[in-house]
Amino acid sequence: MSQTVRPSPASRKPAGGKGTTSAGRGNPSARDGRTPTPKKPASRPEPAAEEAPVGFGDALDWLWKFFISRRTGLVLILVLGLMSLAGTLLEQAPGELRNDPQAYAGWLDSVKPKYGGWTWLLDKAGLFGTFSSWWFKGTLVLLTTSIVACSLHRIPQIMRRTGHPKAQPPDAFFDRSGLRAVIPVGPDPEEALALAAKTLRGKHFRAVVHEGGAAGRVSGTALYADRFRWAPYGSIAAHLGFVVVLLGAFLSASTGFKDTQFVAPVGYKVEVGHGTGLQLQALAFNDAYYDNGAPKDYASDLVLYDHGKQVARQTVRVNQPLSYGGVSFYQSFFGTAAGIKVTDAQQNVVSDTAVPLQWQSDDGKHSIGQLVMAAQKTQVYVVLPASGQVDPNIQAGQVQLEVYANGSSTPTATQVISQGKPTTIAGLTYTFQRERQFTGLIVARDPGVWLVWAGSAFLVTGIFLVFFFPYRRLWVLARRGPEGETTLHLAAQLKRDTAFEPQFRELVADLERAAATSTDTAPTSPRK
Amino acid sequence: MLNWSQYCVEAATILLALALMSSIFVLAVNRGATRTPELVAAGGGGGSVALAERPQEVAPARGGLAVYGSWLTRLALAFLTTALVLRGIVTGHGPFANQYEFAVAFGWGIVAAFAFFEYRYRVRALGLLVLPVAGGLLLYAMTVGAKADPLVPALQNNLLLTVHVALAIIAYGAFSVACAAGALYLISPPEGRRWLPKPEKLDEIAYRAVVIAFPLMTLVIILGAVWAQIAWGTYWSWDPKETASLFTWLIYGAYLHARVVRGWRGRRANWLLMLGFAAVLFTFFGNLFFGGLHSYSGVAK
Ligand code: HEM
Repeated sequence: MSQTVRPSPASRKPAGGKGTTSAGRGNPSARDGRTPTPKKPASRPEPAAEEAPVGFGDALDWLWKFFISRRTGLVLILVLGLMSLAGTLLEQAPGELRNDPQAYAGWLDSVKPKYGGWTWLLDKAGLFGTFSSWWFKGTLVLLTTSIVACSLHRIPQIMRRTGHPKAQPPDAFFDRSGLRAVIPVGPDPEEALALAAKTLRGKHFRAVVHEGGAAGRVSGTALYADRFRWAPYGSIAAHLGFVVVLLGAFLSASTGFKDTQFVAPVGYKVEVGHGTGLQLQALAFNDAYYDNGAPKDYASDLVLYDHGKQVARQTVRVNQPLSYGGVSFYQSFFGTAAGIKVTDAQQNVVSDTAVPLQWQSDDGKHSIGQLVMAAQKTQVYVVLPASGQVDPNIQAGQVQLEVYANGSSTPTATQVISQGKPTTIAGLTYTFQRERQFTGLIVARDPGVWLVWAGSAFLVTGIFLVFFFPYRRLWVLARRGPEGETTLHLAAQLKRDTAFEPQFRELVADLERAAATSTDTAPTSPRK
Repeated sequence: MLNWSQYCVEAATILLALALMSSIFVLAVNRGATRTPELVAAGGGGGSVALAERPQEVAPARGGLAVYGSWLTRLALAFLTTALVLRGIVTGHGPFANQYEFAVAFGWGIVAAFAFFEYRYRVRALGLLVLPVAGGLLLYAMTVGAKADPLVPALQNNLLLTVHVALAIIAYGAFSVACAAGALYLISPPEGRRWLPKPEKLDEIAYRAVVIAFPLMTLVIILGAVWAQIAWGTYWSWDPKETASLFTWLIYGAYLHARVVRGWRGRRANWLLMLGFAAVLFTFFGNLFFGGLHSYSGVAK
């Protein structure tokens, strides 16, 4: 844990009642945080008027300490990990489904054989939609808070440590630090330190010679050197980058849209919707296959209109989406559509579209599309044999219609109609014009995606900086011995950065070499 | 050339088995012997470097057999590299079209990471745990068969995918080394075992491996997101492969933090490494269990 205590609202708190202020802050009692009671605690001889702000400050202080604690961060990461494990191992209900109670109930029934009596509990715990459950979101909020608090807490620490290094650690440091070395040099301490500075600078260290001595020193001169002093900010960049990714994801989820079932029959203009004012027309669709039947390429030739004016044309493939004004179109699926025109008794056109046969019957033998005519309170299912399937009742050039009145579960009529022959069913005249291909697209507007990429860039760059450009510091002290000889004492901490050790040895060897050549004397005898 | 590629895989498997046997033998011998006297680091010249409160590196057992063991591993690595390169030339893409290719590549990653850490830190004992995993993957690859599949459209964004998979393989390889070091740490009593490096050393090697793997894993996930965005219009869709890799990433993230939390440093942190590598294996074999976008089944459904 850090030694520094943030000046917090609680520092306004008068000491007394429960020991010294610093002890109170260093070890906040649970009571401080949990019960900001309006009642005046007997142990506090403070005016009631000041009670509330003090309690509030205590709570804030406790919260702050809670959120900057590394243990808190660790636990939150682990909790999040546990949830993503649950979300991986357990079946997850698709998002669209969860908003539809009836469909969701059906889905629950479908997983009951797998989870048995646990189904109810897992459902209540939200584990069939782990990543949209309130406690997943709650954990993310806590983690975000913790990361932000940690970063705010650490920035001034890093600034202090890297900007105003302690040029003169106590002498004892040179006898006790994790990495240390003693090098005999020529008689002049100042010169020896200058030499050390030069050698270190040659190794890309920043070297600051501390002039003038502190009282009580064996020698008054010391040197501080460091390298990659900006790297610790990489840690801040990484942590905040992660927060930015989360913000982007939040923005995507809250203000974007994604339509995974967008269908454009070849030749027809289709409204994109979602308030975009765009229309899309597919001019052609092509699918290509390898010899063994594996798919090789899907390509849709698309034209995009903004309020009726053509604004883009592009062939969209699986890895080549069309983007316009923040809306993107991705190739997703394809199939057959039936061009059907519907007129009423007065010859008014009720509908003239290509109905995409997007669904398969349960036995996989038929492709089914749905035509909804809301004003007529009529729904029609359009049925064709699935590709590669044969149905003697539906010949080539024919399509089967199942007409339902709204709300009814039995069809008013089921009839096979032939291409180009108008057929009247239940007061409406249907004409099957032709079979068409349709292309299925994912249409998405995702305003958060740029934040996600920016945050990711910070996250990766930051992590690489802290790990591969480690911030390293060392101190040098020139000591004069009783016989007038001078020794250079090098010292550095060896805490987590164990990889510093080989570099430190190398530096020492360099310095020895430099000392030997500059003094023109053979290296003195080894230290006992 | 595909045949040659497969012969290389077989040769590598045999070499790994031999390398494993030689490590076992060397350790068995070392176990009987007393520990090599510890080197005292001398700074050379007139100075000296004191390394307070730090154990010295275990002097490498420089016996003949041990050296052969290292070379066997390196030779296996060379064969695996050749196998992957040959296959890449034939198929025209990186090793990501099917489970066979990815298993061989994963094996390569483990052997490469092990060879690197063995060279760098002279810890042969890691091979006891790492080599069987790599060998197992290669055997598994042979059982699935080496058929070369054409790429479905979603996998045709070559460069991005190649980098995504290549980094994943290196990361997974380094995670396997971390796991092995962590496991040896966990079976060591505080004062260490005679035939093993000191626990502090094992702890450090595990950390070094994670330091390499974690940034790569981060990049892997991000590149995966970029690819998903290009192919499917969503950078993240919570499919099981994605959530499993998120889990893996979080566990290693937790490990990095655990190392600086009192009470977690040491044993608990190393347990996280076990969990993390279990997650890596699960993510890899998960392809077999769950579908989702990563099922390589193509896009049209
Ligand atoms: C999932 C979210 C997080 C990620 C990906 C992450 C990532 C990392 C990484 C890679 C490091 C090691 C590099 C370094 O020393 O800077 C690190 C260190 C650190 N993290 Fe996080 N972190 C996360 C959450 C948190 C949280 C919530 C906290 C605050 C409680 C936190 C506090 C710290 C601290 C204080 C260090 C420095 C440890 C040291 O003294 O070396 N992190 N983090």
